Amino acid sequence: MESKRKWAGASAITVTLLLSACGGGGPASSGGDFSGDKLVLAVLNDQSGIYKDASGPNSVKAVEMAVADYRTKYGDQAVVKKIEVTSTDHQNKPDIANTKASELYERGGADVILDVPTSSAALAVATQAKNHKKLFLDVSAATTALTGAQCNKYTFQWAYNTHLLATGTGATVTRNGGKKWTIIFPDYEFGQNMTKSFTTAVTKAGGTVQETIPTPFPNENFATFLTKAGSSNPDVIGTMQAGGDLINLVKQFNESGLKEKGVELAVGLMLINDIHSLGVEQFAGTLFTDPWYWNMDAEARAWADRFLAETGARPSFEHAGNYSAALQYLDAVQAAGTDDADAVVAKLEGKKVNDVFLRNGEIRAQDHSVVHDANLARVKKPADVKEDWDYEEIVAKIPAAEGFPPAEASGCSMKP
Amino acid sequence: MLEVTGLTAWYGQAQALHGVDVRVNAGEVVSLAGRNGAGKTTLVRCLIGLHQQAGGTVRLHGRDITGLPAHRRARAGMGWVQDDRGIYASLTVEENLLLPPTVSDRAWALEQVYQAFPVLAERRKAPGTTLSGGEQQMLAIARVLRTGARLLLMDEPSEGLAPVIVARIGAIIRDVKATGAGVLLIEQNVKFAATVADRHYLLSQGRIVETLDNDEFRRREGDLLKHLGI
Amino acid sequence: MSAVLQYAVQGLAAGSFYALAALGLAVIFGVLGVVNFAHGAFYMLGAVATAVLLDTLDLPLWWSLLVVPVLMFGFGVVVERLLVQWLLRLDPLYNLLLTFGLTLVLVELVKQRYGVSGLPYRLPGGLRGRVDLAGVVLPRYQLFVLLFSVAVCVLVWLVMTRTRIGMIVRAATEKPELARALGINVGRWVTPVFGFGVALAGLAGVLAAPFRAITAEMGNNFAIILFAVVVIGGLGSIVGAVVAGFLVGLVEAFGQAYAPTFAQILIFVLMALVILIRPAGLFGRQEATA
Repeated sequence: MESKRKWAGASAITVTLLLSACGGGGPASSGGDFSGDKLVLAVLNDQSGIYKDASGPNSVKAVEMAVADYRTKYGDQAVVKKIEVTSTDHQNKPDIANTKASELYERGGADVILDVPTSSAALAVATQAKNHKKLFLDVSAATTALTGAQCNKYTFQWAYNTHLLATGTGATVTRNGGKKWTIIFPDYEFGQNMTKSFTTAVTKAGGTVQETIPTPFPNENFATFLTKAGSSNPDVIGTMQAGGDLINLVKQFNESGLKEKGVELAVGLMLINDIHSLGVEQFAGTLFTDPWYWNMDAEARAWADRFLAETGARPSFEHAGNYSAALQYLDAVQAAGTDDADAVVAKLEGKKVNDVFLRNGEIRAQDHSVVHDANLARVKKPADVKEDWDYEEIVAKIPAAEGFPPAEASGCSMKP
Repeated sequence: MLEVTGLTAWYGQAQALHGVDVRVNAGEVVSLAGRNGAGKTTLVRCLIGLHQQAGGTVRLHGRDITGLPAHRRARAGMGWVQDDRGIYASLTVEENLLLPPTVSDRAWALEQVYQAFPVLAERRKAPGTTLSGGEQQMLAIARVLRTGARLLLMDEPSEGLAPVIVARIGAIIRDVKATGAGVLLIEQNVKFAATVADRHYLLSQGRIVETLDNDEFRRREGDLLKHLGI
Repeated sequence: MSAVLQYAVQGLAAGSFYALAALGLAVIFGVLGVVNFAHGAFYMLGAVATAVLLDTLDLPLWWSLLVVPVLMFGFGVVVERLLVQWLLRLDPLYNLLLTFGLTLVLVELVKQRYGVSGLPYRLPGGLRGRVDLAGVVLPRYQLFVLLFSVAVCVLVWLVMTRTRIGMIVRAATEKPELARALGINVGRWVTPVFGFGVALAGLAGVLAAPFRAITAEMGNNFAIILFAVVVIGGLGSIVGAVVAGFLVGLVEAFGQAYAPTFAQILIFVLMALVILIRPAGLFGRQEATA
């Protein structure tokens, strides 16, 4: 009796597994070329925590805008009529991201996961994408591991990485005369990686990093760190802090007198939302790499106007990146005529792209790094601000070839 | 002055007091003795309002104070001299004296207190707990006297003090009695109690088992000592 | 030498925030026996209120220093009357949990209303720039924070030692039952004392607004350090809270200068040492057991 029941249970599970395998986008699926008769774009990001403003709910809006544009563009010719955009909160935690990604692919019917800030969370999702053979287009995570040691066939990194930030800011600032650097960084993985990348970039450009100062994380009081950093008379203080810590540091830097002594502040990673929330005055003069700025040209601005009407805010580069990733994905689906991941990847790989976000863009086949031109930006003085969100002056273009490491150097091997 | 009738109280799951009747008249010193666990502490805490009684009434100076919170009982004239003296380390001697509000027109002026207790005057600016044990006891008594309390509830005032100090405390108690205030003295020191009290209660297992006048109390001193396990 | 002096002054300035807020925490613990977990959230609210008042009413910092503590006092009174008072008779753990929950609610509410990136606040012109004190150059605002905090601490100390209210608070802190039995209506002081403690946390928040990130989460890490301060100073000890506040600021500054990664860990090492050597804290009174 007992063994019979066990057997029955086991066969039920087997049937379920078989069914789900069939539903996984194979040609045998009942919906013809589309699994479940529809396309599901799942935005997985921080809906409540520190990255909520930088990406968060407005990235979902950006993806919805891409869906609308796809429909307008193809109309009756669209290969898929039913497109769903879902939103899930991963709270910046890798374990939650891992579980949610698995759920989205298995039960949520997700054909692609988008966004995923926080490097550790993004790496977890990349592994799920690989296991489920479904697409993952990361926009908001910075680690080069996504397109390096831990790259895979189904994962793309759309907007930026630590290398771009370091060469963009580190090398350009050094070439513009900021030879002597002191770097202050939060003592965890992101901060350490950024410091390493910056040191390499600065040194290559002919500068020196005199001192690197690790700090606790999170941390409110940077007064003595700054005194210490200033004591070696650097040209530039580079900070790898993010979020609230960055604001703490900037406020205290402004009062420290280092600015008046001619010390420049370069920020490793900053989003326009940071400037918006703290006020342009606090950040005035700060240098940083912005992969995309809403007011950098007419095309960007036109899209930013739509985004503003939709959300009440100007887009960050992460919002625009999500729009671009969704748009290019839908285009690839259209070209492939199916949502089959392998077919879509084949359409994406090697494609040269120019869209609202990507300038001189290329979806590199070798490592799935989406490379494009970026900007070195300087925060405007309050007097130069002409409208809301008009915060950045583009100091220099960072060509794609310079900002992103060559594919050969990525260490990526796509073998399954 | 103080009339306690049928007081019952619980201590956790156990009944600690089973209908206690206690009476203290104006100008009278009454002692209450009993072994550890007899219910003395619960009785005292019920009277000053720090332990909730289950039944019975407490009247002070003709006023029913049953159910009043501690601070209002104090204002009605109940003066507590705590068994560990209750001197505040974070208050100076003078602040210890001035802390409780005055409660009747019999309140002592500060100068009067210092005349009666010159040692307190000398140390008025010192933290309360820097006084010796005997001095702290005097401070505790003086503190209550200054308020003009009508009834002094003194918990083991002789405990741990040298005989000469105990004698001094005895003299103070007799002075208090002379002013017309009542004193309820919780005291294990039978010899000392006999020198100051007019009547004596014996509390055992939450009940008043004997009420003795002072002569009888002296006569049965050995007996009582045995009962108290001393 | 001048570097050491510089770090010392910076440490004291950082300690000002701790001293002020810990003072409030100590007073609340003393009189109510409540370990107020929400103190970090009240600090955050003080800073947020300062930013919002500037944004909406153009209220300058000088006025915020007065208005915000008053508002926070009122808020503290409401919290005490509405929530804290019902749990005062129970095990202190209940109020610890209550205030912890309150923290989560307040942080979420601020996030919902004002977002996660924080609020802008500009330093008033008169407090910008630097001062040179015999070779020690430090931001004018840091010096202001230090002097202002010391002044508030001295004022509180005077109230505590020279007034009847202070006497009652000390008595209620040391032996609350006896204070009641001596005719003091301790219950009457519970609400204003709680409000006062909250106001001090709010005041620390006002001072932080121009100098630190104003975000919903700004109180979280602050609160953790604050508890270390109170443990080092001695739970419920008013002088202890202030002295330990400045001490922790110094440890933090010298830690930042000479052992950067360990700047915060050093605070907890100090706390552990104090617990080992003087379990009741530097200024705590060892409880006399009857």
